[in-house]
Amino acid sequence: MKIGWKLLFLLLATLLLSLAALFVGPVSDPSWTIIWKIRFPRIILAIIVGFGLAGSGAVLQGVLRNPLADPFILGTSGAATAGVILASILGFQHYSVLYFLALGSALFSILIVYKIAYINGRAPIQTIVLAGVIVGLFCNAMVFIFFSIFYQESFSILYYLLGTLTEGDMTRIAISGTIVAAGLTTTWFMSRELNILTQGEDNAFHLGVEVETAKRLLFIMASTMVAGAVAVAGMIGFVGLVVPHMMRIIVGPDHRVLIPASALGGAIFLLIADALARTLLPPLEIPVGALTALVGTPYFVYLLRKKRHTGEF
Amino acid sequence: MPELSLEKVSFSYDSNFSLQDINMSIPEKGFLSLIGPNGSGKTTLLKIMSGLIKPKIGTVRLGNAHINELGARELAKQIAVISSNQYFEFPFPVETIISMGRFPHLNRLQQLDQNDLEIVEKALHITQTTHLRNRPISQLSSGERQRVLIARTIAQQTPFLMLDEPNTHLDIKHQISIFRLLEELNKNHNMSIVIVLHDLTAAATFSQTVALLDRGKLLTIGLPQEVITTENIKTVYGANVEIYPGLSGKFSQINYFQTDS
Repeated sequence: MKIGWKLLFLLLATLLLSLAALFVGPVSDPSWTIIWKIRFPRIILAIIVGFGLAGSGAVLQGVLRNPLADPFILGTSGAATAGVILASILGFQHYSVLYFLALGSALFSILIVYKIAYINGRAPIQTIVLAGVIVGLFCNAMVFIFFSIFYQESFSILYYLLGTLTEGDMTRIAISGTIVAAGLTTTWFMSRELNILTQGEDNAFHLGVEVETAKRLLFIMASTMVAGAVAVAGMIGFVGLVVPHMMRIIVGPDHRVLIPASALGGAIFLLIADALARTLLPPLEIPVGALTALVGTPYFVYLLRKKRHTGEF
Repeated sequence: MPELSLEKVSFSYDSNFSLQDINMSIPEKGFLSLIGPNGSGKTTLLKIMSGLIKPKIGTVRLGNAHINELGARELAKQIAVISSNQYFEFPFPVETIISMGRFPHLNRLQQLDQNDLEIVEKALHITQTTHLRNRPISQLSSGERQRVLIARTIAQQTPFLMLDEPNTHLDIKHQISIFRLLEELNKNHNMSIVIVLHDLTAAATFSQTVALLDRGKLLTIGLPQEVITTENIKTVYGANVEIYPGLSGKFSQINYFQTDS
């Protein structure tokens, strides 16, 4: 199986990079404590966040039939971030509140984008992006308001907003890992519906897909993955845009393969980006979200132009 | 084959009625064309017949069931549809697109079995798309895409096939191949075909029954030569036409550009 080999290759690449990343950092001769207590959680985090962001990107691109759909561009990450910050400034220490608010606001934002952009079941690609930008700006405004009220925590919030993989709370990492895994598994089991939904909603109905139910579940699962990633890493953009698109070129558009391939690709992308973030300007650390945006924005422009010319994803 | 019939169906978008009091039954193993001017309600009628939208008043029956009470999966085992809005951006191989026709017949975790693969193979063969099986749909011509969509509906194995102007944007050679294919499905595979058409000559040539719609009302339904008459066309389209019987007696040609108006 050709496709099987490709997936195996991606899996091996993820494992090798994870191993290599243990020995990459500002300290060239690290102690075991640094490797075990600092770098290891970071690698786990890169994998979880890469899985969540790229997985949700693949799902959203399929449901919205839009190659530019990415949780960051659509404002979903921004909404989840607002949820996370709201939970922390309201003083809710309990994880359930934090994740509930992150997931709830992520889901709400997707539905708003969908409602703004879709008229009679169709939306031009640019309109969805525009709606996403607007929702994202609104969420940013909310974040800045929270930010200015609670300025004493500004610095840590700022770093979080820029997207980092420095979260050290193992419980949070475990919860995020679990819900990202749940989201990926559920959407993978819906791959066949997702494939058919790319043919248009009316056509999917005539092929036997309960469109509304499927769409609702897919949106919920995509939001879950975004909330899981954002709760531990903040707003890391463009992973969900770049990775699924590259994977579609490598393994094809079938979501049964595309979803796992995107998850692995997302992990690889973030492992590399984070290794660079830690080592480019020692002893300083660049927020990894800034790095992914540096790669992601030109890619976005490329997709925008390509789509207009060839019509193909 | 279950019977498909419309009883007192009315539908409106916003305020103005787009369909009013339609009663008709879909002829079994027939070839029915829906014709009428722009905005007469052809496409809306097709959407109602296929269960995509629900009539505001009236019912559509499929056998003993109300069509809108059937689940998507059940409905997709009975009625296959090729709508006029198709999306080809995702580069799925032709074979995968055709396999999507098997979806209503499979359980969630069930893989395509030998029988399904044979059905897909047969659909490729009938539509002469076997050589395209591994090509991405996004790279095919409009004529080839239309044949692939028909192959998908063949794989769906439904008694009814409904199409919304499958011949638009096609050159005459591809139009002929599409209509020949539909004729074959109708005659050799016992499919009931309902098709929305703008082309009156095609409607007159290929249909056994023609339904003429005028501003949301079913003006008349019957044999092509009874429905497509100079008077009816004048009334509904406001255009003068000349109708020539064709050589075979069945074929007619409708001339609209060279008449005095």
